[in-house]
Amino acid sequence: MLKSATGITARIVEEAAKCQIKLVASLPDTWIADLIAAFDRDERFRHVPVNREESAIGLCSGAFFSGTGAMALMGASGLMTCIYALTKINYTYQIPLLLLVTLRGAFGDRARYHVSNGLYLQPLLDSISLPYTIVDTPEKIGAVSAAYAHSRVISRPVVVAVTRAVLLGER
Amino acid sequence: MRFRECFEYLAGRHSDELVILSAGSCSEMWWDVTHQTEGAFYLEASMSLASLFGAGIAYGVPQASVWAFSGDGAFCMNPGMLMVEHELSLPNLKHFLVSNRCYGSTYEVPLPNAAANDYAAMARAMGVERVYHFDSLAALEEGFEPAVRTPGHSFVVLEVEKVGRKLKEPPVEGPEMKYLFGRYVERTLGVRVFDESL
Repeated sequence: MLKSATGITARIVEEAAKCQIKLVASLPDTWIADLIAAFDRDERFRHVPVNREESAIGLCSGAFFSGTGAMALMGASGLMTCIYALTKINYTYQIPLLLLVTLRGAFGDRARYHVSNGLYLQPLLDSISLPYTIVDTPEKIGAVSAAYAHSRVISRPVVVAVTRAVLLGER
Repeated sequence: MRFRECFEYLAGRHSDELVILSAGSCSEMWWDVTHQTEGAFYLEASMSLASLFGAGIAYGVPQASVWAFSGDGAFCMNPGMLMVEHELSLPNLKHFLVSNRCYGSTYEVPLPNAAANDYAAMARAMGVERVYHFDSLAALEEGFEPAVRTPGHSFVVLEVEKVGRKLKEPPVEGPEMKYLFGRYVERTLGVRVFDESL
């Protein structure tokens, strides 16, 4: 991993700690493998690897009712599979949730199999009025805590989508 | 055993446990038997996430006991939920799987591979140690204490008959459910769920 990526990972972890997130549920994407490992070894968090992304939605949504700050961490493809859970659980019951995802299929992603995410992820989020913000420079990492606070205010999920360049520390 | 007598027995043994109910038959039967509005979360249309929703609560309030009910229709959609539960190993989470071998909320359409599915064996294969299987009320009565009262995560399969008719849904809408349940948790467990107004 690039040294700059290590710094990015640490800053995202600190952002999560700053908003009192204690529970992190994740399913991997290669771009966030180091971030997941960082949460896993940080004693301020309980990191829970889940079997599928929807399970992260269920777990984190329940955690809300225990007063526990939670975050779901996944790839863009995983988020695409969660629309039912998000709309049925988080929208119906107005449960806040922070999701941090990879912005797959955007400029800079070299994986052809993520073309569909580039074409449909943002239009899909727009279509269900799911607020999101894009972190495409390291200076925007503060959006993590801002998004967490916003989800609590609006009682809905909020997505932070991070680019390859930021997550991998590329120029 | 009959679904209703199973839930009547459990309701009779229920005290202050938080109860999470999956969509369809579980929610409807619990409501029909108890009319409980506080301390029970009717997670309608949960599609397999009721037990993990309960796990999220159980994780954050270890002083509470959580009973989470899934239907076997939900379980078939996401049996890997037990991997996550086992990973968490929450001593205050009891997961009841109500097995009627059908999609109860959609007029009891049969499940795939209905007759052969062995949910208890699946749980054991995923490492869950405390697995119980009750196919009669007498067996449930006899095994209730070790299955439910003993500390430790447990997975309890309840084999019940089809209801044969559609029951009424709990008359609680989403936001009302959220505040009824959340305020109950705040009041009884001393946990702050909701933020103060900014």
